[in-house]
Amino acid sequence: MNTENQGYPNFPARPPPSSSSPFASAPPPGVPPQSGGPESVGFRPHTRPFTPSGPPMAPPVGVMRPFQSPLVSQIPGQGIRPPPPPPSSNSFPSTAYGPPGGGSFQRFPTPPPPSGPPQTQTLAGHFSPPRQPMGPPPQSLTSGVPGGYASPPGTGFQQSMPPVNPSYPGVGGPQPSFPPSSYPPQTGGLDPASFPRPLDGDVEPNTFAEMYPMNCHSRYLRLTTSAIPSSQSLASRWHLPLGAVVCPLAEAPEGEEVTLIDFGSSGIIRCRRCRTYVNPYVTFTDSGRKWRCNICSMLNDVPGEYFSHLDATGRRMDLDQRPELTKGSVEIIAPTEYMVRPPMPPIYFFLIDVSFSAAKSGMLEVAAQTIKSCLDNLPGYPRTQIGFITYDSTLHFYNMKSSLSQPQMMVVSDLDDIFVPLPDDLLVNLSESRNVVEAFLDSLPLMFQNNVNVESAFGPALKAAYMVMNQLGGKLLIFQNSLPSLGAGRLKLRGDDPRVYGTEKEYTLRVAEDNFYKQMAADCTKFQIGINVYAFSDKYTDIASLGTLAKYTGGQVYYYPGFQSSIHGDKLRHELARDLTRETAWESVMRIRCGKGIRFSSYHGNFMLRSTDLIALPAVDCDKAYAMQLTLEETLLTTPTVYFQVALLYTASCGERRIRVHTAVAPVVTDLGEMYRQADTGSIVSVYTRLAIEKTLSGKLDDARNVIQQKIVKALREYRNLHSVQHRLGSRLIYPESLKFLPLYGLAICKSTPLQGGPADASLDERCAAGFTMMALPVKKLLKLLYPSLFRVDEWLLKPSADVDDLKDVLRRLPLGAESLDSRGLYIYDDGFRLVLWFGRMLSPDIAKNLLGADFAAELSRVTVQEQENGMSKKLMRLIKKVRENDPSYHPMCFLVRQGEQPREGFLFLRHLTEDQMGGSTSYVDWILQIHRQVQQNA
Amino acid sequence: MVKMTLIARVTDGLPLAEGLDDGRDLPDSDMYKQQVKSLFKNLSRGHNEASRMSVETGPYIFHYIIEGRVCYLTMCDRSYPKKLAFQYLEDLKNEFERVNGPNIETAARPYAFIKFDTFIQKTKKLYQDTRTQRNIAKLNDELYEVHQIMTRNVQEVLGVGEKLDQVSEMSSRLTSESRVYADKAKDLNRQALIRKWAPVAIVLGVVFLLFWVKNKLW
Repeated sequence: MNTENQGYPNFPARPPPSSSSPFASAPPPGVPPQSGGPESVGFRPHTRPFTPSGPPMAPPVGVMRPFQSPLVSQIPGQGIRPPPPPPSSNSFPSTAYGPPGGGSFQRFPTPPPPSGPPQTQTLAGHFSPPRQPMGPPPQSLTSGVPGGYASPPGTGFQQSMPPVNPSYPGVGGPQPSFPPSSYPPQTGGLDPASFPRPLDGDVEPNTFAEMYPMNCHSRYLRLTTSAIPSSQSLASRWHLPLGAVVCPLAEAPEGEEVTLIDFGSSGIIRCRRCRTYVNPYVTFTDSGRKWRCNICSMLNDVPGEYFSHLDATGRRMDLDQRPELTKGSVEIIAPTEYMVRPPMPPIYFFLIDVSFSAAKSGMLEVAAQTIKSCLDNLPGYPRTQIGFITYDSTLHFYNMKSSLSQPQMMVVSDLDDIFVPLPDDLLVNLSESRNVVEAFLDSLPLMFQNNVNVESAFGPALKAAYMVMNQLGGKLLIFQNSLPSLGAGRLKLRGDDPRVYGTEKEYTLRVAEDNFYKQMAADCTKFQIGINVYAFSDKYTDIASLGTLAKYTGGQVYYYPGFQSSIHGDKLRHELARDLTRETAWESVMRIRCGKGIRFSSYHGNFMLRSTDLIALPAVDCDKAYAMQLTLEETLLTTPTVYFQVALLYTASCGERRIRVHTAVAPVVTDLGEMYRQADTGSIVSVYTRLAIEKTLSGKLDDARNVIQQKIVKALREYRNLHSVQHRLGSRLIYPESLKFLPLYGLAICKSTPLQGGPADASLDERCAAGFTMMALPVKKLLKLLYPSLFRVDEWLLKPSADVDDLKDVLRRLPLGAESLDSRGLYIYDDGFRLVLWFGRMLSPDIAKNLLGADFAAELSRVTVQEQENGMSKKLMRLIKKVRENDPSYHPMCFLVRQGEQPREGFLFLRHLTEDQMGGSTSYVDWILQIHRQVQQNA
Repeated sequence: MVKMTLIARVTDGLPLAEGLDDGRDLPDSDMYKQQVKSLFKNLSRGHNEASRMSVETGPYIFHYIIEGRVCYLTMCDRSYPKKLAFQYLEDLKNEFERVNGPNIETAARPYAFIKFDTFIQKTKKLYQDTRTQRNIAKLNDELYEVHQIMTRNVQEVLGVGEKLDQVSEMSSRLTSESRVYADKAKDLNRQALIRKWAPVAIVLGVVFLLFWVKNKLW
């Protein structure tokens, strides 16, 4: 097990300043790469060892292990166990963190023995710090260490990393002529610590918001680049996606809510030809009698009621009373023409599996309690309707007529020919039947607590629910505990057969097995039924098939593998409550219009396309986002700007029909560099993630990951070509400032649950569930999931001051690698879905005792964080609460992990350290090197 | 049996409320809804209609009452007792006026009182079965008289507006054409006059001219 990882040469101990000063302080500016020699060697794959004898590099090595005491405690940040007694004098044994035999979590490099190789050799892979704050790109410096560290076969690629002569002086010196923003510098030295990391979370490009203050806010619409190429040839050179991510109902902070307007008798002002809604970018002419559509430049008449005189500058006099002419986002009350039927009431229908495991796991109880506690907060009082069907091997309907005191249960056991026993009273008005509904929810867990039926007639139950709901539509919440086993839509245990992975058939596991599901989803969308799937089984439930229902009806999949109410109860409670009480838009359709010459060609997310560009969304809320890609139709865009308008027509829970309109503008450019400058990493990553997940539904995981890498490589190569002409770049990797996080996020996508590794890394259900979830996530949330935050809290906890205000201080994010971890610390890892509290092995027992009470020494998998009677614990709970409140869309569950506790640590925590190498995946450094090499190859 | 219930403002035909699962099991519900809409449009155009009326359409019949500028309309089977249908509408009217009375005039958006649908739903259920004690009692109650309510056919009702339009159009055309005729007649008259007297005038003129020339020369 002496696998060492060259990719992680960098430990918290930084090179002393002296070592870096030769580079940092006086980089020979503009020195061209030294001819062929080092370069060509450097980038030839498989050039293995070279002896890094260059003096300048020597010092950094010194900082590394050899000069340090072999005591573990003196090496902060390495999660390494105490040395196992016998094997060697090596006090830093490599430790396998993986499950026994798997070794997949092995990650820490084996450090050289104290008496090890000469310094100069160890430094392979250690590099001078970056010359400029922004830009680290990599030049690779890894090489085999001639110290006798044989690399095991299979971790091969880092060995092939091109070594670079450490004495190479000019590499990466900032070239004075490069304006830093557009030509990020490159370094020959490779200091992973200086790689760009999105530690501030998602930074939205805001130059545009300033330039076009009338654009809608970026939380509603984000373009992948705010500069639209003018010609197809330019677009084809832009290898990144060209498109947008739309989150039409994003939650607005207090005071920035979208204005509601009513056009009244004049009717909604829209362009006659392209049906664009009136917006801030239309122009009024002919002294106010005509207006020109900004999207198709059609001249329209202004209706009499809407007429207003123009002032000398051509602006309307009543501009300040017309929010639709000053704001990028407005909500319009729709007249009768926009309704095919009266606005529907909010409808919640529950389809609950009550077979054996549902009662046993406590799911029924938690769900029933949560639904009951939410009854008061369901939107749309007093029109809200509610209904229930439960099922095991038979279907149970409940008559909830308001005049009854107890619900009546009706059992239908004919699964082949489903019928609904009552025409009405299965779906009832909540305010009228409140007592019956409550009585039902109280008795639900008791009714089935001794149920030993393990069958699940899911398909027939779904059909029955469909028959009850198809008059009005609404939201269908499915609680599924086992694999559907009876009736239509029964599924086979096609399971996690590892042999299928890697073959051409691999993808079939990830798509619905039975056409029944897609058909049902299509029917449901047609009748305005949105489906959310809650799955609880610890065994295979075929989320791939069940999730199809949610995918095509604009819903969501919630997956709680191995649900236990004591552990997952809180999570289910919060997420179900959120699902039930958040503001929801019913029976909606969305369309995005754009200027002449371009059109939206593909849409990605959870929805059904009704026509080529009309997105049908039976139920949509603030936690759903949709991505779309643009194509240029005409070879040359002649207009100076392009406009986009998103329109969502929906019924609000209060019974109003509304149209939400977001308008944005982007300039047309002829320069590729400008496009790079205006690129928005978050949006690009969002589109890529969706593309990659879609790719896994038709191909191998490997292919999907390669596609991501290839796309990034192509983009960077193009960027390189763009600049290599004017500047002698040598072999440096350059990238635009706006895309500095792109490679890292690309790596994170490849390591995300739907795409990571092979069969052993994530169960098929988890993969599919994560895939469905990520297809719908808004940009910010997705970026947080891809690059979760990690922060250290023990010091903060020990600080006596118990101010609430210093929370910001403690939430400073750390790079997501093992180097950030100190075994004396307590860390919190937060990806928006899970919180992991990582207890370092050397963490003072006092802290653990304070936080965990008497259980502090026990196996942490059985301990939960509870508030103890002391300040420290209260402080921590407050912090956790705060973190959870920051984003209420999901409830991050809290896991406790102690360093070295295997295999939990590996599964819960280590494998999510994006920057580290694990199993077959790549570390950040290696990833950059790989990309760099590929960029070079065909440059 | 009540199939469909709509409440609309007479002045502009704006729908105010509608029974919820209307159109359930009704194959042609869209067609009937369309008819209701044109009926409302007719009413809003102000053709003086009776405040209570029944309109036959296919196998069904619309009953409506107009009260306080609001029209309450329901569609029933033909076999459904007229008396019950109007009782039902009265109930709706009383409740609607009680709840929404002051806001009816100011309602701006369609279905502003959609919340009323729960009441419609509830009331509808009471009237669903004609044989319940309550409904039989209502049927036997002589206080509420419905015999004089007129029954017409939907084509007829919808046609009324059309015919009136046609007539007024014809009459206006008649007016303008007769005016044209008068002008033309006047013109012709003048021409006839000219044609009749012009030769005489010319001859006289020539004679006078000759006289004048003769006197001058001499």
